[in-house]
Amino acid sequence: MLRNYIKIAWRNLLKHKGYSAINILGLALGMAVTLMIGLWVADELNYNAYFKNKNQIAQVYQNIAYNGKIDTDNAVPRPLEFVLREEYKDKFKNISITSWEGERIMKVDGNTLLMRGYSVQPEFGNITDLKFISGQSEALNDSNSLLLSQNAATTLFGDQDPIGKTIMVDNQHKMMVAGIFKDIPKGNDFADLDYLMPWSLYSNRSWIKNAEDQWGNDSFQLFVELADGVTMSEVSNLIANIKRDRDPEQVKYNPELFLWPMNRWHLYTSFENGRQSGGPIENVWLFSIIGVFVLSLACINFMNLSTARSEKRAMEVGIRKAIGSTKNQLVKQFLIESFVIVILAFVIALGLVLLFLNAFNELSDKVIDFPWSNLYFWGVALLFISITTLLSGSYPALYLSSFKPVKVIKGTFKTGKMAALPRKILVITQFSVSIALIIGTLVVMSQIDFSKNRPIGYETSGLIQIPLRGAEFWGKTDVMRNAFIASGAVTQMASSSSPITDVWSTRSGIGWAGKPQSFQADFNYSMVSYEYVETLGLQMIAGRGFSRAYPSDSSAVLINQSAVRYMNMQNPVGKILTTGKKGEDYTEFKIIGVVKDVIAQSPYRPVKQAIYTFDKYQSASYWDLRLNPKQSMQKNLEIIEEVYKNHFPDAPFSYDFVDQEYAKKFAQEERIASLAKVFTLLAMLISCLGLFGLASFVAEQRTKEIGVRKVLGASVANLWLLLSKDFVSLVVIALLVASPVAFYLMQQWLQSYAYRTTISVWIFIAAAVGALSLTLLTVSFQAIKAAIANPVKSLRTE
Amino acid sequence: MMLLELDHIYKWVTTGGRRTFLLNDLSLKVEEGDFISIMGPSGSGKSTLLNVIGMLDGFQEGEYKFLDETIHNMKEKHRSKLYKEYIGFVFQQYHLIDELTVYENIETPLLYKSVKSNERKALVGDMLDRFNIVGKKDLFPNQLSGGQQQLVGIARALISKPKLILADEPTGNLNSKQSDEIMQLFKQLNEEDGVTIIQATHSESNAAYASKIINLLDGSIAKS
Repeated sequence: MLRNYIKIAWRNLLKHKGYSAINILGLALGMAVTLMIGLWVADELNYNAYFKNKNQIAQVYQNIAYNGKIDTDNAVPRPLEFVLREEYKDKFKNISITSWEGERIMKVDGNTLLMRGYSVQPEFGNITDLKFISGQSEALNDSNSLLLSQNAATTLFGDQDPIGKTIMVDNQHKMMVAGIFKDIPKGNDFADLDYLMPWSLYSNRSWIKNAEDQWGNDSFQLFVELADGVTMSEVSNLIANIKRDRDPEQVKYNPELFLWPMNRWHLYTSFENGRQSGGPIENVWLFSIIGVFVLSLACINFMNLSTARSEKRAMEVGIRKAIGSTKNQLVKQFLIESFVIVILAFVIALGLVLLFLNAFNELSDKVIDFPWSNLYFWGVALLFISITTLLSGSYPALYLSSFKPVKVIKGTFKTGKMAALPRKILVITQFSVSIALIIGTLVVMSQIDFSKNRPIGYETSGLIQIPLRGAEFWGKTDVMRNAFIASGAVTQMASSSSPITDVWSTRSGIGWAGKPQSFQADFNYSMVSYEYVETLGLQMIAGRGFSRAYPSDSSAVLINQSAVRYMNMQNPVGKILTTGKKGEDYTEFKIIGVVKDVIAQSPYRPVKQAIYTFDKYQSASYWDLRLNPKQSMQKNLEIIEEVYKNHFPDAPFSYDFVDQEYAKKFAQEERIASLAKVFTLLAMLISCLGLFGLASFVAEQRTKEIGVRKVLGASVANLWLLLSKDFVSLVVIALLVASPVAFYLMQQWLQSYAYRTTISVWIFIAAAVGALSLTLLTVSFQAIKAAIANPVKSLRTE
Repeated sequence: MMLLELDHIYKWVTTGGRRTFLLNDLSLKVEEGDFISIMGPSGSGKSTLLNVIGMLDGFQEGEYKFLDETIHNMKEKHRSKLYKEYIGFVFQQYHLIDELTVYENIETPLLYKSVKSNERKALVGDMLDRFNIVGKKDLFPNQLSGGQQQLVGIARALISKPKLILADEPTGNLNSKQSDEIMQLFKQLNEEDGVTIIQATHSESNAAYASKIINLLDGSIAKS
């Protein structure tokens, strides 16, 4: 029986090659999209799969309130580690306080490389489940030992055995390689870990020693692995109030410590007012929904084409019923036919996925391998095939199997007007989804454009920043400025303690005249050199920048426009800002200028209040260089490198183009936009494929009518209109359905951006024009073909 | 032995508030082994009567007994079982399934009766032999002449060993030679195998093959 069904399905496929091709191709495209999205979603959900104990691993976070607004941050104070170790040790298997991820210059035999990693306590190796090829994490007890990843070891030492070899780190510390661990694969946190340095070395620095009893100095990360049987929420409750209990000074910030489990690090990254508010998980949902939609579009094609051809199949149904088939057997037969088609489509979809997996990886910044050997994948694939079969096959199966044999056999069977209604509804659904996707994509693109066009506050092009690692660069800013300018490659140079495109420090405890008693001020903070304003091309609203002509500028401060609003200050230039308390690190800063707001952080958020103080010790993290526009970029960079190497022969030379760094702020949104573009395009393609099939069916069905009309004098244009207008009206209805829904949803999406575009009516017009012209193009081919056919032929066949 | 009995059957359609009777107070008894020809002008209800007997179509009033079982209020499942078991159809347009070969067309009713593979092979083989179409078993219907197609149609009707064959103008599309051959076959089936046959036909000469002729007019039996 089964064989018989499969045989007839196969013969039907071959007999109607055009329909079969449209059906299978459309379904294959839909399945390929859904498969890709499925792989992507699985990859996202499996993030951190490397860490077997990830459900028991956490980082300590805290909520801190400033003026009633709660910030959530992963920076914690130094003494927290002591308290956890001493008073709560039975709750934890491992605890490690760490530095922030940092780049270090590592030198081996004149070979200098930049490595990324952390300074950690030995337990960190247990928390992150490092697999040691040689050595062990306890080696970090020795403050002169370091651990390297396999990749870093090979880069530094080639084929030699690195164990016991020494590395010069930051031209400061002579470290011995005491262990090699296997690289943590991509798709996990800590995947780019090159080295681990001992905390005991790092914590020798005086500011860290000072931090040992500072509960207000949130400058460290704390990772923990819970003891068996201990839950996250249990520990979160225990530690919540530690900070405020130990230091009365902290009570006003209402600090609340909690554990943030590793299994949420990747997908749940946003916090709003102390509550978790999504993150990349939203994209997982978004793309899952798109995947389901695209697959449904393909299934709708399948249903429509199958039922549209029902008159051709009706006779077979009638005969089968007359010679003894029950309805159930027919349903089974048609489902098996669908199954055959779905299997074929699935095989093609697999091919498409394999073909485009690399491109997809590039687009989505992933390294997804095809899970050939993963039984789980094939299980899901089977489920996927079954669901698609049911989704696409059940309606045609039920519809076709319900024909009355008497009518069919007598030849009085005609599909009535009502029979086309579900088909029309399905087409409307299909185009509503496609049009909504188009509108959504256009809104995302216009939001990106809108934010890109936002005034940045300085000139990004022709500007580079050189990262400075280590003390050897301190005090050299002026010397290097002179050298660079003298070389002719640079027209202006300054330094800063944060990169131009980010803010590394914030400063609280700032005071000013007229500040309300309870107001807890918090500013972005950067130390800059002379000529900072000139180098970046900042616009002064009032006053001036730091100048060599005024020696008193070493205790001056620049503020931005937002800071003026924040402090509610009239005529700020000349007013005084203070830090510290009387008698205790008290310092006064005189405001000498107000600069126009600079977007250093998210281009989607309002610019935060910022202050810039003068870097007396030239201890900057970046040199910012304005390149000579009269010379080629290439030449400028060559000269700069040469000058740099003359002064720092042992330091690696690297630089970032500021405009490229700024563009990275849009990477996440642009990635979503380009994925959305691809999926929308495919959705539209699938819908049009289905429409093409339907149009050819309708043209075929109406061949006789067209012949008669033509004989009666209808022009090709008349006939084209006749055949096209039905489809166009369906698409118009779809437009009316999709537009308000898309408007509402995208309005919701835009809410998460403080700086957002308004949804322009042009987006809807563009979507409408696009959808309609695509429809016309698709339908017209069949319509015109039918309209120019010789009527004699079509009439004679009767 | 009584095969089936129709008792005062009425069947009508309502158009524009008026009833048009397709079968009008029709009663008919068929014994096992009968060979009946139903004659009558177009629209007299021949096909409708066959469809009612064949349980493809219902009716509004009256009673229908098949092998002493009352059909008209029987459950669909039971009825279809009965009909799979005992009734075979032969159509004027042959109604073979285009996508299946001769062999497969004949085999299909057995599939619906869940006959085992070996048995199926044997039964279909016998049938091909008997109708002398072994050489054509792998051809598709459109590769056969009309007469050959009708042979396949009859073979398909006979494969499940029905007690009753219903034939609606079985030779309507055939020339007189082919037509005679089919009628000879029917006669042989009736006499040698004891199959009950009811055929609707326009042709006096075909009708004459039967042992009994019923004339239909406006849904009623005119004389018997």
